[in-house]
Amino acid sequence: MGYIQDKDKKYLKGEFDKNLKEDVYILVFVGDNCQYCSVASAISQEVAELHPKIHFEEHTIGDELSKEYGLEHAPTVVITDKDKYGGRIRYVGLPSGYEFSSMIEDIIDVSRRMAEVSQEVLEKLMKIDKPILIQIFVTPTCPYCPRAVRTSHRFAILNKNITGEMVEALEFPEWADKWKVMSVPHIVINEDVQFIGAYPDEQYIEYVVEAYEKMR
Amino acid sequence: MDFGLVLPTGARESKDVDLAIIGGGPAGLSAGIYAKRAGLEAIIIDKGNAGGLAEEAPYVENYLGFIGIKGEDLVKEFKEHAMNYVEISERNEVEEIKREGGLFVIKAEKGEYKTKAIIFATGTTHKVLGVPGEKELFGKGVSYCVTCDGYFYRGKKVAVIGGGNSGAIAAIYLKDIGVEPVVLEYMPRFMCEKAYENIIKERNIPYYTNVQVTSIEGKDKVEKVVYKDRNTGETKEVEVEGVFVYVGLIPISDLAKNLGVKTDEKGYIKVDLKMRTNVPKVYAAGDVTGYAGQIIIAAGQGAMAALSAYEDLMLH
Repeated sequence: MGYIQDKDKKYLKGEFDKNLKEDVYILVFVGDNCQYCSVASAISQEVAELHPKIHFEEHTIGDELSKEYGLEHAPTVVITDKDKYGGRIRYVGLPSGYEFSSMIEDIIDVSRRMAEVSQEVLEKLMKIDKPILIQIFVTPTCPYCPRAVRTSHRFAILNKNITGEMVEALEFPEWADKWKVMSVPHIVINEDVQFIGAYPDEQYIEYVVEAYEKMR
Repeated sequence: MDFGLVLPTGARESKDVDLAIIGGGPAGLSAGIYAKRAGLEAIIIDKGNAGGLAEEAPYVENYLGFIGIKGEDLVKEFKEHAMNYVEISERNEVEEIKREGGLFVIKAEKGEYKTKAIIFATGTTHKVLGVPGEKELFGKGVSYCVTCDGYFYRGKKVAVIGGGNSGAIAAIYLKDIGVEPVVLEYMPRFMCEKAYENIIKERNIPYYTNVQVTSIEGKDKVEKVVYKDRNTGETKEVEVEGVFVYVGLIPISDLAKNLGVKTDEKGYIKVDLKMRTNVPKVYAAGDVTGYAGQIIIAAGQGAMAALSAYEDLMLH
């Protein structure tokens, strides 16, 4: 028996049939002493089997591709076109619970090669011309967290300078402690600007702009 | 092992409908099913995940047909049921509602929706306590969501402020995942259902009554809660590393108010027995109406609101 229930598979297949356009890759980077690596691979593989445009690949932290993408933790799940999105849309730790829905939405957006934001947000987003790393600390049982994760991933789809990285706080407690994470979603931009909560795009982008301004 | 995989739902494009349901909690989901089955073209728009506050409930033990079920699992059943009928657009916050001719135009994050009628199933959000330290220490030990943040406190002592049903359930959940909660209740007695009172006693969860919390204190993070014992008038404190605030709810009714919908002094939308508001073709259902805060009542009200909308749109 797999991790995804049959009725859920049926639903996902329908969504994929309706929405997928171009090829999309789920890359799972595994490593040693990794509790959830095999689960991350298994779930991703089950998702990939639902549609011919979704491809699953397993890589290893430390290999060429992980270095190119700047990945250090296992498991890391990357949703990509293997071209312009590179390793910028990613999950460190298992995208389970509510984050599973984020991963599915990412697959659809990456396959569509687009994401929606308002004109006002888009204008601000397009001015970002230096690398910005948005890290979102979450727990899988947090219903508000996917919104914060998906915002960073939509920004990453629209602007090649942005990387959106979900971090599962319970799987990486020391990392979460470093940023004193006690309420999620807890967002850290460029290891500097921080905020807590699932805000609308208009407020979210202001924090991104703040981090960007600090670089100049 | 169950990883609780949650599915997304999601329309992207704008569309015209007969009925727009704002809010995808139990009331909105139930309204969606009834509306679509009656023959109305409908959409449910939710600013976050469909499910509403029910999703945060660690356990639900009073919904007909389920002896005991996690809030998120019950909501998943609701959502999957509703998805068979109606489009649910999640993470799509409504920004503005305007009138255009006889229609309402809903401007939301993901698109614009023209509709003949609206059901507000917008629910409630957590009330803040309003004591010194609460705002300052938010995210540094102060939290409003046990399912989100409870795990950070395993092996630690925390205070749950508010001993009503939500607070009681929160404390039981915390105890179950290995946290040491103490419940602080303002009133002189247990304020939760007897069923929860029994569990709290069985599991030896301290439940202090007559507690008026006056401040939450700590340097960089929560260290203690200071309170007045209403019995003796003495100032006391309890050392904790976390504080979960469950002191009640406030209705989310600003969008409705902007359309001229009447509310009571607390902001709950006034409805008649058929869930009609004072504004024609505008209805409300669920917690935003201020009735009971129970999932089963919200679902019932959602059904009623949809039937009223059907009656007003199709039969008159």
